[in-house]
Amino acid sequence: MRRTLLFRNAAPYLLLLPGLLWLVVFYVYPAFQMFLTSLYTGNLDTGYTQTWNWGIYGESITEYWPWLFRSIVYGGLATILAFALGFPLAYAIAFRGGAYKNVLLFLVIAPFFTSFLLRTISWKIILADNGLVLGPLKDLGLLPEEFRLLATPAAVIAGITYNFLPFMTLPLYVSLERIDRRLIEAAEDLYAGPWRPQGTIIGTVLGGVLGLVVGLVMDYGPFSLSIPFAIIGALVGTWLIGQAFIRVTLPLALPGIFAGSLLTFIPAVGDFVNAELLGNPQSLMIGNVIQARYLQVTDYPTASALSFILMLAILIGLFLYARLIGTEELTGASI
Amino acid sequence: MTDPQRPFSGDLTRRRFLQGSALAGVSAFLAACGTAGQSGGAATSTAAAGESAAPAASAGAGGTPAAGGTLRFANWLGYMDVTEDGSSYPTIEKFQDETGITVEYGDGAVDDNETFFTADLQAPLEAGQPTAWDLIVVTDWMVARLIRLGWVDAIDTSLTPNFVANLAENYKGRSFDPDTNLAAPWQSGMTGLGYDKAITGDQDSIEVLFSDEFKGKLTYLSEMRDTIGLAAIRLGFSPEELTQEQFDASLADVDKAVKDGVVRQVVGNSYVEDMAGGGVVLAIAWSGDVLTLLVPDQTPEQDFQWALPKEGGMLWTDNMVLPKGSQNKAQAERWIDFYYDPVNAATIEAYVNYVCPVAGARDVMLETDAELANNPLIFPPDEWVARLHQFRATTAEEEQAWSEAFTKAMGL
Repeated sequence: MRRTLLFRNAAPYLLLLPGLLWLVVFYVYPAFQMFLTSLYTGNLDTGYTQTWNWGIYGESITEYWPWLFRSIVYGGLATILAFALGFPLAYAIAFRGGAYKNVLLFLVIAPFFTSFLLRTISWKIILADNGLVLGPLKDLGLLPEEFRLLATPAAVIAGITYNFLPFMTLPLYVSLERIDRRLIEAAEDLYAGPWRPQGTIIGTVLGGVLGLVVGLVMDYGPFSLSIPFAIIGALVGTWLIGQAFIRVTLPLALPGIFAGSLLTFIPAVGDFVNAELLGNPQSLMIGNVIQARYLQVTDYPTASALSFILMLAILIGLFLYARLIGTEELTGASI
Repeated sequence: MTDPQRPFSGDLTRRRFLQGSALAGVSAFLAACGTAGQSGGAATSTAAAGESAAPAASAGAGGTPAAGGTLRFANWLGYMDVTEDGSSYPTIEKFQDETGITVEYGDGAVDDNETFFTADLQAPLEAGQPTAWDLIVVTDWMVARLIRLGWVDAIDTSLTPNFVANLAENYKGRSFDPDTNLAAPWQSGMTGLGYDKAITGDQDSIEVLFSDEFKGKLTYLSEMRDTIGLAAIRLGFSPEELTQEQFDASLADVDKAVKDGVVRQVVGNSYVEDMAGGGVVLAIAWSGDVLTLLVPDQTPEQDFQWALPKEGGMLWTDNMVLPKGSQNKAQAERWIDFYYDPVNAATIEAYVNYVCPVAGARDVMLETDAELANNPLIFPPDEWVARLHQFRATTAEEEQAWSEAFTKAMGL
């Protein structure tokens, strides 16, 4: 009797144990080692000694803040674009998938059956200067002959968006799928109609701003993309989004939005494969810098310091984001 | 020329393509398991026979050549002749039969110099322990680094008479290996101009790499010694004796070309796909790629060529090196001697298609495959050799400072 009680009390901790052990061995210990390494001085030939060189953090930030900033911008944009693509996708599967739900979900995950590297390399073939996409457009005279997608920031952001799209779509699907349809019907019974004119205005503004940022980051000029994006935003806001969506569906989907954007943003900021394969020397990210510092320059302290700074920057961003969306609202919405 | 059966994609990861490529790792692992497992059974019997035969075999040479035992050999992908079904390596089989030594061949165990150094060599050698390999193949500058760190065992040249007799002249007394007993060249490659003749016309000068003529349609190599080497040659410097000022001047030109957008990307092996896709028409390119990779991908409108620039080009070498403290040093030396037999080198060369460092291999090949033997990309004529430069060994400080400066110019 007593023993059963003891066991029952200990059970949660026992269940935690394997995961905790795993994290301690493969995360906490390496992270601690990395922290110690970041404070070393020396080189390959003289060896490295612990000098508690805290200055390296300041130096690394001063020297590499443009790459950090660029990574956060690229990762952020990729997250927003993945949301813009993933939300309609998840919504359609959850609400209109019918008998095909499982097939459609499988198709969302299907790219994961191929290696990350191969998927990105195949983008090089698809986006080649005279390849499948650009070749016909150039032949029709819609694009100038020198236009290219590969080796541009646009290709890097597009590649990251594509590679992490399932991470965004799946959590969104889960939270949308759980929504009780009767709540939406109830909203409609209570005269939730189209969302005009606010929807038109907000859609236009959001689309325009996103287009402006994307255009600037991708080097296509501030206004080339903002007009088409604003038009799409206006159309979506006017006809596709109703009050029931704004007041019921969206708040209930918040946990999925929160989880999906974190799962996309965190690996996207640290990604280096897309920038290496699809980018140019002007679009390399902090992950590439860390890799080069570690492997090519064998400057282990700086590489470690940069990894730590990146981790810290993401943690701070995460904290602010959780504050912004509000964890209470999250748990409240999920009930 | 190129064997249609040949899996040309095998060379993709041969040079630094993408560090930490999980894919290559898996295939290397499978390949390594394949040989070891498949030769394991035969080896136990031959090994037993070999040990008793050892004294007889040693009679001729000065030392005692090894027989029996094991040789763990780490090499790059696509660097050994293999049967069409990929199940065995004929030259390695021959070596096993002749010597009774079991070879555990790590095909692709070396994926790129930096990763191999970090993953396989650094930790054990720093601690004074033997590595998991008895013989490794790494590029010149990595050899120089290992020698500098004291992590290399000297080859007992009395056990390798073929190596002494048949090493081509231009490999003797290299700056990092003055006595020619620390590194035995395995394959070399030349760095020069790769171009799509259909678009660029004939090219024979480094100058075009620094001009606006093909702006945004040319790539540089991410190997510092290749790209800086060509930049230095263009300025009239000798890569064999590059000074700090000369390095700075060469780097400044590279930096400017990258900043101005003349250079589309700074890449490893992947310029090959970009050329095939039409986006890149001019590249700092390795000679072997044109033979093995570009030709099969060519469309009728494309005409890929490789040229050794008139100003000169770079010669790099991947070398067999004995990592310090391996238990099977004698077996590794036996393999070096075996490879430097021109007959064996020619067999491997017919498959590998890089530059062969073994004198006499060409004569052997003239009889078996005259076309290959006369290919300047495999056996460069003397006037080419005269134009080829080798990057000098660097000090520890230079190595770090130069690679740091170079990665900065690359946008990192």
